[in-house]
Amino acid sequence: MTATALSRAARNPRSPGERFGKHVLFICAALSAVLGAAVIVVVALETFRFFGQVSPARFFGGLTWAPLAEEPGFGVLPLMAGTAQIAAGATFLALPVGLLTAVFLRYYAGGRTASILNAVVTLLAFVPAVVYGYFALNYVTPAIRSVWPGVEGFNGISACLVVGLMILPTIVLLSREALGAVPNSLLEEGVALGATRRRVLVRLVVPAAAIGIAGSVVMAAARAVGETMIVTLAAGNPTGPTWNPVEGVRTLTTFLAQASLGDIPTGSIEYGACFAVAAVLFLLTCGMHAAGGALMARGQRGKPGAVRS
Amino acid sequence: MSAPGPALPVLSTERLTVRFDGKAVLKDVSLEIPFGQVVSIIGPAGSGKTTLLRSFNRMNELMPGAKTAGTVRFQGVDLYAADIDPAEVRRRIGMVFQKATLFPKSVFDNVAFGLRAKGVEGDLHDLVEEALTVVGLWSGGAEVLDARALDLTAGEQRRLSIARALALKPDCLLLDEPTAALDPAASAKVESIIHALRHECTIVLATSDHTQAGRLSDLTAYLDSGRLMEYGATQELFTNPRNERTESYLTGRLP
Repeated sequence: MTATALSRAARNPRSPGERFGKHVLFICAALSAVLGAAVIVVVALETFRFFGQVSPARFFGGLTWAPLAEEPGFGVLPLMAGTAQIAAGATFLALPVGLLTAVFLRYYAGGRTASILNAVVTLLAFVPAVVYGYFALNYVTPAIRSVWPGVEGFNGISACLVVGLMILPTIVLLSREALGAVPNSLLEEGVALGATRRRVLVRLVVPAAAIGIAGSVVMAAARAVGETMIVTLAAGNPTGPTWNPVEGVRTLTTFLAQASLGDIPTGSIEYGACFAVAAVLFLLTCGMHAAGGALMARGQRGKPGAVRS
Repeated sequence: MSAPGPALPVLSTERLTVRFDGKAVLKDVSLEIPFGQVVSIIGPAGSGKTTLLRSFNRMNELMPGAKTAGTVRFQGVDLYAADIDPAEVRRRIGMVFQKATLFPKSVFDNVAFGLRAKGVEGDLHDLVEEALTVVGLWSGGAEVLDARALDLTAGEQRRLSIARALALKPDCLLLDEPTAALDPAASAKVESIIHALRHECTIVLATSDHTQAGRLSDLTAYLDSGRLMEYGATQELFTNPRNERTESYLTGRLP
C-alpha cells in the first residue's frame, strides 16, 4: 500500500466513525445556538408583552423607576443614567492607567518585567467579581470615607474605582494589541529623524493606534455596563434616582439582581418590566461589543505607512 | 592620518562587531568614510549591509538584544560615548530606510517632523520647500504640501522620505537600498538625486545592485557574512578585485 492510498483512506469523509464524530460536533454546536436563541426569544416575547401594558414612550421617556410602588413608575432612564454613571466613571479612571500600562508593556518593559506585569494584569481579569465587590465595600469605601466623611456607605465612587480596576485588563491587553498593529518601522523612522522615543510614541505611534485603542475602551465600557456584583455591593441599590456619586447608585444590572431576589409574581407587569430592562441591557452590551470589535478590526487593518502599490 | 582637519574621515569604524542575541552580524569591521564621497556597501543578502549602515546613526540599539563592540567615530568623536545624545547623532547623520514608512499626515508634516522635533521655531515653509525642491517634489504649488503622503506613488514616497531626512541638513546621509522595489523610471530619478546630493553631504548607501554602486559611488566596500572583504576605489574594485570572494560576487558566481 502506498502512502498516498493510506492518507486518502484516513481522510475518507464517508467512513462511519468520521460521520458519527461530525454529527456529535454538529449537535453540540446546534445546542448552544438553540439555547442562545431561546434566551433571546424569551426576553423578546416578555418585553413585547410588557410593551402591550406599558407603552414604549412611557418606558423610555419616564423619569421615575418604581415598578413596585403604589403609583408605579416605569421610566428606565434613571437606571440607564446610573449605568452610564458607573461605566463612564470606571472607564474614565481605567483609560489613562490602562493605556500607559499598554505603552509601557509594548515599548519600554524588558522581557522579564513585561512577562511579570503581563501575568499580574491577566490575573486581575480572573478575580471573581464578588471578590472585587467585597474589596470595594470593606476596603475602598472605608478608605474614601476616612478622607471624605460625607461619602455614604454605599456610593458610586467606590463602585467606579473598583469596576475601573476590573476593566483595566481589558484596556491594557486590547490596547497593547492595537499598538502591536502599528509597524515598528514607524517608531524607527521617527527616531531616525532625531525625535525622542517619547515624542514619536506620543505624536505618531499612539495616534496611529487610536482607532484600536478606542475599540478597547468601548469593549471595557461594555464590561462595566454589564457588571452587577461589584456595583450591588459597593453602590447598594437605592430606590430613588441618584445623580450624586457620594450616594448609592442604581443601575440596570443592580435592579435586575435585586428583583430576582424578591417575590414578583410571574406574568405581572413588574415581571414584564424586568424583561424589558434585561432587553435594554442586552442590546446595550451587544451593541457596544459589536462596535468595539468593529473598531478593533479597523485598527488592525488600517496599518499606517503602507506603501501604496 | 588621524590629525584633525578636513582630512579626518567623516565616519570611521574600528573593529566594529555587532551582535543580535549573541549572534555576530558584523565582525571586526574597520573602515573610513572620507568627507564628501559617495560610498557603496555591497554584498549578498544577510551580509550585514543594513546593520553597518544602522551602526553609523545608532539605530541598532533600538533592537532588543543588540550589542555593539568596537568604536564608531563621527569626525573623530566616539558616537557611542556616554555623553553623546543619540537624537543629535541621528540629526547629523540622516537615514533613509529601505522601506519608507511615511507618517499618515500631509507631505508638509512629514518633512517638518524632524525640524519640529529639533525645536526649530517659526515658519518652516522655506526649509520644507527647500528639501522638497532637492528631490523634485516641489513645483511651487501649495497643493503638494497638503497632499496626504500615503497618496503619493511609490517613487514619490521614496523621494519624500529622502526629503524628510534632508530637511535637517545632515552632514552625512545613509541610504538603505534607495531604489529597491521601484520601477526603472523612478529608480533613475532617485539615482540622479543621489548624484546631485554628493556636493551637499557625504553619502553611504547599501545596495544589492552592484551596478548601482558602480554608477554612483567613489568608493565601494564589499561585505560578506559580516566581514569587510575589500574596500577601495569603485573603479579599482570592480575592474581588479583583490579578493576572490569579491570577484565571485561581482561576476555572479556566489550563491
